[in-house]
Amino acid sequence: MTTKKALSEKVKALFALKVAGIASQLEAPGVAVFCGSNRLMDVDEVSDISHELESLIASLLGSKDPTDLTSVEVQALKGFFHNLSQKVLMRGGHVEDVVRYTQTVQFSVIEALEKSSGVAFGQSRSVLLYFTSVFNELIMAAFGAYLDEREQTLQAQQAELRETSTPITEIWDGVLTLPIIGTLDSSRTMLVMEALLNRISKDHARAVVMDLTGVKSIDSQVSHHLMQMVRAVQLMGADAIVTGIHPEIARALVSLNIDFNTITTRANMADGLKEAFRRMGITVGHI
Amino acid sequence: MSISGLHLTQIGSGDFLLDPSRSLNVRDKDQLIEGVTAHLMQVRAVRLYYDLSDLGLIDPLYYSWLDALARAMHIINVEMICIRMQPTAAFALARFIEGQPPFKTALEIQDWQK
Repeated sequence: MTTKKALSEKVKALFALKVAGIASQLEAPGVAVFCGSNRLMDVDEVSDISHELESLIASLLGSKDPTDLTSVEVQALKGFFHNLSQKVLMRGGHVEDVVRYTQTVQFSVIEALEKSSGVAFGQSRSVLLYFTSVFNELIMAAFGAYLDEREQTLQAQQAELRETSTPITEIWDGVLTLPIIGTLDSSRTMLVMEALLNRISKDHARAVVMDLTGVKSIDSQVSHHLMQMVRAVQLMGADAIVTGIHPEIARALVSLNIDFNTITTRANMADGLKEAFRRMGITVGHI
Repeated sequence: MSISGLHLTQIGSGDFLLDPSRSLNVRDKDQLIEGVTAHLMQVRAVRLYYDLSDLGLIDPLYYSWLDALARAMHIINVEMICIRMQPTAAFALARFIEGQPPFKTALEIQDWQK
């Protein structure tokens, strides 16, 4: 890290500046990037962020050590760009918009400071290097917000997918149905089991109809998971009825030596529901 | 009636509720089984409901206690029903037991009576 003693004359002059009244000159990049056809912000909002940015830059240049990229002032600037990025992304913008704004505003800051002080900061390599190092941090902060947002979206999508791929429905008071579609691996079985057992407890379910119509193949591990699920349901005190077993799955279960003697099975979901209703003493008929 | 770590309450004709407390030491299962069995035989019990509502996890040690107690109950012709098993406990138990447990399960006492 550079100390103040090793700074060039222009950088020293930069750090000695009293920054004020440059906000209006920082508006142009904001208006160009955010107020175009994408309509991410209106002009008043751009004006507000430009004033905030001016104040943050003034705090940084007037701080004890403006070259310290870990300083509170740099963190405040990073926070500003992080929040700006989040705001833009939430309004349907792209991270590229924020990056373009950050790069353009960097040059606008230098130009505005040149104008207000009369010092040709743009001609100084050290000043340019200083601003590049600061604005690189700010671009990273904008990207950080983008990555956080993306991660959250991915997690939400995965959670939604998990939920929709195993819809547990209370089809009657105390009767749950669970159609299983696709492959049952260890992690999915655990999630389904957890959700199912909690629903049994919450809804006070007495019967669960697990429909395997959507399961096209089964191996030793999957059958083991299926047995665990059935056993857990029974341990909770509910009846488990397995339906929709394809002939090839029945054959696979026999060859895998899986004991289905303790499990009630029915050909399809309708028969499974009839069995569940019968056990609960419910009669469903035509009026 | 209270046996160390267990509360045994009559809840109907021949029906008893066994409520384990935190002080239950399942390592002393032989002594515990003797105490429960003696009492249930004396009062001519028919059914024993074992309340698992305070148990978040059933490990192999606790399961061996349940298993032994259920077998003892079978010998004295008392039906043992574990009630209110928590989802977490069922989840853990289903992962290590093979086959059916020697006791029945129900969500609540009323569910079993139905």
